[in-house]
Amino acid sequence: MKQILLIGSVWIFISCCSIVPLMAQSPVQIRGTIIEKSTGESLPGVTILEKGTSNGTVTDMDGKYSIQVSSPEASLLISFIGFSTLDIPVMSRSIIDLEMEENLDDLEEVVVIGYQTIKKKDLTGAAAVVKTENSNKILAASVGETLQGLAPGVSVRTGGAPGQGPQVEIRGVASFINSNPLYVIDGMIADANPTLNTNDIETIQILKDASAAAIYGSRAANGVIIITTKQGAKGAARVTASAKYGVEQLPQGYDMMNNVDFAEMQRRQFTNSGLTPPSSVSTQFDPSINTDWYKEGTRMGNSQDYNVTLSGGAENSSYLISGSFFKNKGVLIGTDFERVAFRINTRNKKGRVTFGENMVFTNSVSRSPGTGNSFYDMPQMLPVIPVQGDRFISNANPDGWGKGTTDAVTYAWNPVAVNAINSLRSNFAKLVGNAYVDVDLTEGLVYRFNAGAELSFDHNKSMRRAGEWHFNQPAAPTNIIENRGLFSSFLLEHTLNFNKTIDKHVFNGVVGHSQQRTKMEILSAGSTDLQSFDGIYLNTVSSATGEAIADGFIPQQYIISGYLGRVNYTYADKYLLTLTGRYDSDSRFGEGNRSRFFPSIAGAWRIGDESFFESNVISDLKLRASYGELGIVTVGSWDYIGFLNSNPRAIFGPDQAAYVGATQARLANPNLGWERRMSQNFGFDAGFFEDSFTISAEYYNSLSKDVLVNLPIAWYLGNLGGEPAVNAASIRNTGIEVEATYRNRKNEFKWDVSGNFTTIRNRVVDIGNLGEGVNYIQTGITRTQLGRSLGEWYVLQTDGLFQSQEEVDNYRNGDGQVIQPFARPGDVRFVDINGDGEINQEDRTFQGSPWPTLQTGAQFNATYKNFSFNMQWIGVFGHQIMNGVRRELDSYQNTNFRNDLNPWSPNNTNTSDPRIGVSVGDPGLIDNARLESDRWLEDGSYVRLRNLEIGYNFLPTIMQRWNVQNARIFISGQNLLTFTKYSGLDPDVTGNGILERGFDNGNWPASRIYSVGFQLEF
Amino acid sequence: MKKLAKYILMASVVGVLSCDPNLDITNPNQPTVEVFWQNATDAEQGVNAIYSTFARGGFSRWMPMLYITRSDEGYSGSPWSDLANAFGGFIQPDYNFGPVIDVWRDCYIGIFRANQVLDNVPDIEMNQDLKNRLLGEAYFLRAYYYYNLALLWGNVPLMLETSKPTDLPPTSSQAEVWAQIESDLALAISGLPVRYGSNSDLGRATKGAANALLAKVLMQQGKNLEAEQPLQWLVTGEGASVYNLVPNYRDNFVIDTENNIESVFEWQFTINPTEVTDDDVATPNHNYGTSISQFLAPPGIGWSDAEARTWIINEFLQEQTTTGDRDLRLAASLLFSNTDERGPDFTMVYGQTFTQRYGPENPRAWFRKFLNDHWRNEEGYRSPNNYRFIRYADVLLMYAEVLNENGKTAEAYPLVDRVRQRAGLAPLSQTRPGLNKTQFLEQLKHERLLELMGEGHRWADLVRWGDVGPGLAQRDPGFNNFQVGRHEFLPIPQRDLDINKSLSQNPGW
Repeated sequence: MKQILLIGSVWIFISCCSIVPLMAQSPVQIRGTIIEKSTGESLPGVTILEKGTSNGTVTDMDGKYSIQVSSPEASLLISFIGFSTLDIPVMSRSIIDLEMEENLDDLEEVVVIGYQTIKKKDLTGAAAVVKTENSNKILAASVGETLQGLAPGVSVRTGGAPGQGPQVEIRGVASFINSNPLYVIDGMIADANPTLNTNDIETIQILKDASAAAIYGSRAANGVIIITTKQGAKGAARVTASAKYGVEQLPQGYDMMNNVDFAEMQRRQFTNSGLTPPSSVSTQFDPSINTDWYKEGTRMGNSQDYNVTLSGGAENSSYLISGSFFKNKGVLIGTDFERVAFRINTRNKKGRVTFGENMVFTNSVSRSPGTGNSFYDMPQMLPVIPVQGDRFISNANPDGWGKGTTDAVTYAWNPVAVNAINSLRSNFAKLVGNAYVDVDLTEGLVYRFNAGAELSFDHNKSMRRAGEWHFNQPAAPTNIIENRGLFSSFLLEHTLNFNKTIDKHVFNGVVGHSQQRTKMEILSAGSTDLQSFDGIYLNTVSSATGEAIADGFIPQQYIISGYLGRVNYTYADKYLLTLTGRYDSDSRFGEGNRSRFFPSIAGAWRIGDESFFESNVISDLKLRASYGELGIVTVGSWDYIGFLNSNPRAIFGPDQAAYVGATQARLANPNLGWERRMSQNFGFDAGFFEDSFTISAEYYNSLSKDVLVNLPIAWYLGNLGGEPAVNAASIRNTGIEVEATYRNRKNEFKWDVSGNFTTIRNRVVDIGNLGEGVNYIQTGITRTQLGRSLGEWYVLQTDGLFQSQEEVDNYRNGDGQVIQPFARPGDVRFVDINGDGEINQEDRTFQGSPWPTLQTGAQFNATYKNFSFNMQWIGVFGHQIMNGVRRELDSYQNTNFRNDLNPWSPNNTNTSDPRIGVSVGDPGLIDNARLESDRWLEDGSYVRLRNLEIGYNFLPTIMQRWNVQNARIFISGQNLLTFTKYSGLDPDVTGNGILERGFDNGNWPASRIYSVGFQLEF
Repeated sequence: MKKLAKYILMASVVGVLSCDPNLDITNPNQPTVEVFWQNATDAEQGVNAIYSTFARGGFSRWMPMLYITRSDEGYSGSPWSDLANAFGGFIQPDYNFGPVIDVWRDCYIGIFRANQVLDNVPDIEMNQDLKNRLLGEAYFLRAYYYYNLALLWGNVPLMLETSKPTDLPPTSSQAEVWAQIESDLALAISGLPVRYGSNSDLGRATKGAANALLAKVLMQQGKNLEAEQPLQWLVTGEGASVYNLVPNYRDNFVIDTENNIESVFEWQFTINPTEVTDDDVATPNHNYGTSISQFLAPPGIGWSDAEARTWIINEFLQEQTTTGDRDLRLAASLLFSNTDERGPDFTMVYGQTFTQRYGPENPRAWFRKFLNDHWRNEEGYRSPNNYRFIRYADVLLMYAEVLNENGKTAEAYPLVDRVRQRAGLAPLSQTRPGLNKTQFLEQLKHERLLELMGEGHRWADLVRWGDVGPGLAQRDPGFNNFQVGRHEFLPIPQRDLDINKSLSQNPGW
């Protein structure tokens, strides 16, 4: 109840201050035309507002407007996106014609900062505005992917597979568990996964520091991406249609040997080891079998993206309806993704009350085999194995899919068979949206009730048909499993926005309450023993005749409830102060740890507007600083309690029946809490030469505390089902972000160029108590150690090859012990770091970091007459990638060989490839292929031409004949060029989660996309 | 003032709507630790969960394979060279090598489950007899998991209470681990019944099983005098009326004659055709069987990741049965060209002749006891074939060994005779009477090999007899890599050493 009283009294207080007596005055009718200053052309769609009221209108197609204002002393605010806003006193005029000037100054842009919009010039925190004119040029299934390289501090690594989302990180990673930013779509906190149509997006803002993001408090520590969708504008109905079609081509695959070369190399391999070569490469070698597995498993993909939008509005209402279809046929056989989206955004005003809603319905379907990774298997699969063959036919493999055999041993999967036998179809039907009521209580005071919902009806259907796709495959029945999930998230918010000017003091801000309930339910059913007739499989659960499978559970269910508030104070338009706070409670923590306050403060000084600051060069300068605390939840719904797991089964009795067992499988920590992030930001925004050149720079220093460490539980504890987390670690991310733009609009050849760069220095400051003397977390071959970055490569160091037995024998430690007694000439020499005379895990050291030292992006836009040109580059530098696929290939065992393989032999010593042989009983060869070695680390730096687009705008005069107002065609190429030394398919590696980022285990590479498209507006 | 009133009204509406929701959400999927451990059902389910560990992959698959391949009776010729080297090659550069670690993990998972029972069940108000029995089962199972840890790793941390994430125990020496096992087994023996009243409890640990395991533990430490007592219980005491040898040797390895009179302790498996994982806590729909048959079965059927050393075939051929036939235990133990005495054209390997599959000359041999070739022509990850961990024949031979060690060789003869005669061989008292203690032990080594080959006891036998070492390389070239003072034990997982600095690595690693 305390909170109620508090809110009530704040409300009353604010309300009392704001009530201004209305005086009777005579209304005045004004009309006029608005044109663009440089071209003299009329400007439709310009907003004209009576200052201090919500009374407004927009210009028609000819730039004409008319408005009734309350008095002859009123002022008009005239605004249009991309143009400088004008503030014109009416001064008893009835006709006011105006010229508007294109605004070269970004700072006039309006920025959505959560529950409020403010002018960019009034920003005190660090918020990046992504130009959708750039992001929309990328043909991609998800918003995240289109952001690559466009905003400083935002790292995007693309997923590659159809419908797969990218890895987006804002200002580094400060958590071991979750680095995903929070997405807010039109005020609804929801997932912006590939189900959102990127063409619906009007603006994207990225809140990076504590001040900007603090209004989202306990969820904002990884940054916030605010997406606002398009709205209708006043005027006659407008229809826009666009279509885009692109073909996708994989980069060059691994260059592997053909049948003859492979057979020769494998004969040599076996002969070297004193073994008889397998018959498949010797006595029974069949020259007619020469399978190019890369060719068999891949294809030319394509993407199609179609959109139609209908929008318009009247005096007090607007609407936008859009429909879209996106389809991506993947470059791997059997993979595709398609999405249909339908959006309705409307706004209606009646008196003091505005009703609005933004709603999208999307249905997306992705298909894949659902198992395996062809990018891992294709290079390993042997060329002497056919895709299909009669000799492979058996009961278990009726279609005779080719696979490894006792005389052509490989355990790699046949990608064609995997695809033919297994299928997974995932369908997400989603409804995301919000509806709100705004009430203009009095001047400068608006109440909003906002209700949002995200509903996702998920359906996955997997089938395993008859057949085998790898050597020695265990028998398993055919089966079908369908699962249905319902994800629901409901948001309820009450907010009060205020805005008050007293002389030079300007106050604005928001207070409110927000509550969100989220739940996921899953029900699944299945059965074994599919029926098929003439090769056609029946595909419902009940059509299968074997054992039934049923499962149902609620993996997550939680509530977040919080109070939020922000005050922006500006004095004399030069001194700015922002105070933001949010008090959040979250059901995912134990009672004592459920609530927390997340405050922040920021200030800015528009020093460029000071009278003493006179410069012909610098046209604008603002200094900013902020400090605050944010949180993030990295736990499941009930992780703070220990649970009994009732899944174990004991088998007893003559009938061998299964009896239920119960045990606590997973250890729990009752004291779980938020991960918190203290973040400082210092920045400036400057404009030069009348803002034709602008630059923004930020320095940030963010320290995360109480970071959950999934304590790598020792195996002797017997823990299962995930390691219990403890809020113990601390990670610091510091860096510099710079973004600069130069615009040249003076000539007919108009162009602008923007560039940004980001540095991230990621350091573990505290790792928690992991035991005496342990200051690191080991994850596979990476180690996260105090004072270093997350997940640096911790491996053995190699030192070339032994060239002779003498070198092996003489490679000794201080005590004269032979360090690699098993090694033979041509084997890899490892460095005995600790000098104990043998190579073991004690000799591992840090051999590189997966973290780029520099990330850059650059965009160039130009227009000349009717032509437009867009080019985007990205560059990522200074990190190491672990090439896991290459490791498999260069182990030489049960795999095809690289075409350029040049193994060491006594007669061929000038090579870096070790000797070749069969490693069973040959520890030297096994050591050569050790995973934990710097042999597989490669420089991951790359520069990529992300996008290149050339467009042509048809002359309106030509098009008007068909009632077309605007028509544009374009061609573009995505990922056309990549400069890198990395030998894998693509240096843009997503990796294995946060602690093994940069581990390429058959990463899906980014395709080259060549596309054409058009846009029409009626 | 009207307006003001309206605002106040609205403000309160807002306030009411915003009132903090109840943030206590009950997990609808699982009971919490606080509400569990209330009654006999909870106690019984807690114990069942310990048994459930047997079907986990590390325990049911890798552990028997590890015992087989480390000894001189088998090796791994797996193309997965890390596996081939670690299993039987005594080469394990990666101390965290998955298949080896899985054994370690599953043993400790079982111990964690047993500790939960031992910590919580004593406080439950329930029938005292049932409580004693359940605690006895938990003590037995904990002892059994430590028995395997002691054999394979020797010096390991002793976890005796429900684990906490912060536990950093020191290494206990193998002697300390043996002592703990002895103490657990003493409690198990006093709590466990000789037989279970209900048929549905068939397969649970019994007093006999605990006595047999205790005997193994004592013998392994050379405590032969102490080992007499539990074996006496089994052979001449109360156990004599419970156990016997089954007439047909092969019945110990086929699915229709599980839990027979010879079975002292047996891992229970059954098929769950819809299973999706070996992880028994991930879903109720996990593997209730063992995948070992898929890993032992010959190529074309299974992975063939472990196979037999063929010198053993000659051991079987040394002696014929009283009827002049080949020792019938050979065909029960090995799949090879002459499993059928008539030769490779008659030996059936999963529905095809040996010749059809591998040609007539192939010299390889595969362990047959865990396989399902007696009832189907394929393998998979879901074998229902129970593993008879302690057979009464083993107990008889153990008792014979103990008696011989204690100078009672004459008393040992009839025990060996029972085992030999079941296999159709003449009694040892006829064929080789009057052996002295050393000769008798040598003979016992032969008898144990033939009776128990491929059942995972050979490693413990070799260690107990002091025979483990490079001297075995004649039979098993893997022992060429065996370093005395090092390879007796496996390396402690690096991960556990990394986390817990009070643990120490085994000597030589």
